[in-house]
Amino acid sequence: MKKLLSVMLALAMLLSAASFAAADGSAEINIFISGPEYADAIRALIDAYKEVAPDVTINYETTQNDYPTLLKTKINAGECPDIFATTSGKEISVYKDYSYNFAGTPAADALLDSVKTVMSIGDEVHGFHYVSNFFGIVYNKAIFEECGIEFPTTFTELAADCEIIAAKGYQPFSTGFAEWWVYKHIFQHFLDAASDDPADLVAKFQAGEVKMSDYPMLYDNFFNFIDLAVKYGDSKPLETDLAGEESALGTGKAAMILGQGAWVENDLLSIDPEIQIGFNGYPVSDDPAQCQVISGSDQALRIYKDSDSLEATMDFVNFWLTSDYGKTWFADVCNVIPTVKDAKVPATAIATQGNELTAEKGAGAVAISYSTDSFHQTFGEIMQAYVGGTITKDEACAQIEQKWVELEGSAE
Amino acid sequence: MRRSSRPRPGVLARSALRETIAYTLPAMILVTLMLYIPFVLSGYYALTEWNGISKTPVFIGFANFVTIFSGSPEFLKALVFTGKYALFFILLSNVLALALATVLTRGFRAVNLVRGLFFVPYIMSMTIVGFIWKFIFTQGFEHLYEFTGWGVWNYSWLGNGQLAFWSVLIVGVWQSLGFYIVLYIAGLQAVPGDVLEAASIDGANGRQRFFRVVLPLLGPSITTCVFMSLTNSLKVFDTILALTKGGPGGATYSATLEIYREAFQNNHYGLGSAKSILYFVIVLVITQLVLRFFESREVKA
Repeated sequence: MKKLLSVMLALAMLLSAASFAAADGSAEINIFISGPEYADAIRALIDAYKEVAPDVTINYETTQNDYPTLLKTKINAGECPDIFATTSGKEISVYKDYSYNFAGTPAADALLDSVKTVMSIGDEVHGFHYVSNFFGIVYNKAIFEECGIEFPTTFTELAADCEIIAAKGYQPFSTGFAEWWVYKHIFQHFLDAASDDPADLVAKFQAGEVKMSDYPMLYDNFFNFIDLAVKYGDSKPLETDLAGEESALGTGKAAMILGQGAWVENDLLSIDPEIQIGFNGYPVSDDPAQCQVISGSDQALRIYKDSDSLEATMDFVNFWLTSDYGKTWFADVCNVIPTVKDAKVPATAIATQGNELTAEKGAGAVAISYSTDSFHQTFGEIMQAYVGGTITKDEACAQIEQKWVELEGSAE
Repeated sequence: MRRSSRPRPGVLARSALRETIAYTLPAMILVTLMLYIPFVLSGYYALTEWNGISKTPVFIGFANFVTIFSGSPEFLKALVFTGKYALFFILLSNVLALALATVLTRGFRAVNLVRGLFFVPYIMSMTIVGFIWKFIFTQGFEHLYEFTGWGVWNYSWLGNGQLAFWSVLIVGVWQSLGFYIVLYIAGLQAVPGDVLEAASIDGANGRQRFFRVVLPLLGPSITTCVFMSLTNSLKVFDTILALTKGGPGGATYSATLEIYREAFQNNHYGLGSAKSILYFVIVLVITQLVLRFFESREVKA
């Protein structure tokens, strides 16, 4: 018994010694975020920062699958990463206990206003991001030219164009309906068109005060759009995922892909470097002015409030968003549209067209940020059941309304 | 002659006891840490409302259980799905495994190699299995359809709610078949040869020998395999997560996956814990009943 006790005591001392060893020495920043598609760019940024602050060690980890679960595990184990990721908008309140308010720092002041609003609660700035995304329909210009049509800006034109494209032997849509997030990306365009204040509209849904059938834009237009997409889309709609969509558009099989945005451009170019990428909004109704793209950040990076290396982390974030290197990093290294003022914009096809369309017609608000992904995943499942034909439109609407209240009704 | 060197019986018993404790203590500690303590904590969380992130859970008593019983159609749907899955899984696994085991005890030339081949899926990681079968179901079947034109390859095996159940079942059975085959081979090899000889002398043909002699003597093996396949199928999680993630449209949520979704995706950790406690009770009751039933039918050789 005594021997056993002494062995266990020795083991315990060894473990505690190991944890103490990590505590002294230079600052250490732990970054654990989603978005592995930008891993190379972020590593380049970290290497660049090493030259500015050689004493700081940055541990960068990224994953996409199950990111929220892994993050929760880390938080509950007491190892909240110094920089972690969530969605922007409503999810701030979920993580409020852990996220640092950095209003007034150079990083916060550098953010574009459109980005800052979805990252803030009142005057407190709780997040930042490095990608300002564009959401809309990505299409193949060559196919449209061959069919002799312009991109449709009304729903009637869209239906007619689908016939023409199908007659030419192309598949009008690749829908990616196997992914749950495609639905939220499509739905937000209809939310923006349904109300002048989509944030308030979503809040009403969350409080259970309104129904989908109160809004023809949601009840009729959205479901008509989905029906059209299924009719002219993949033969097995619930089996096509993001890779399937990109491959269909990149190989010239499909004319348009749904639920995507600026992030697919790199992948499409790697499939076909000559592809002519077109980008436009969703023709939600017969009013061409409502066919808008949406721009903004749907993801947010947050800084851990009680971090041991809070100062070092803040310095790094300031470097990221305000330094000269940082300002060119967005366009040159990461190839994304920047989220800060005075930074270089990349000359990608989607960014250029997106900016033109925004200048012409304005851009919609990132309505998906008004709900959390918990709701959106369930929303995606309900829409999948509708696409699969197992529930009717009214059943789907009833479930959507119920889940909105159930999952987001109480203020967190 | 003095019996001085032998220790007294009491001392012997005490040192044996000390040894027993010393050998089992590390395992006991680990099991307590990994199983019992989390289980008790899970019971505590079942009485709270917590989103898994904020610093303090809110105590709400039995409200979670009330929610489950009064307004949770998804949990019921998941239970029905799991029940259906378990039933077919037990049937298919055991019948197939027994049939294959009988063939594999025949003693043909490559028998060890073939036994090994059947066991390989069991040691493959779930993610790999999921990817491989996803590829087979989508692209593999597509090409088979182009090749043969048979309608069965053209169905949407992963995109249709009804078919997805069978896809998940097939992959689940395929993956763990090797395990049950090994158990049945061991059971078959333990059937005494002289009993079989006596039966054939008495005029029993192959089928009668199998159903009247071998099968009853396989009682313990059958009990073990049925019990194991029952518990494994009631706990099915990885297969579904890798293949369909519960889709399409929520058609393939097993009870465990539904609990996972409730706790981690819907941020209702308290409700998820309550569901898991309830499910634990359900599984306990079912397995005890099944065990009692099968043990009563075993032939004690």
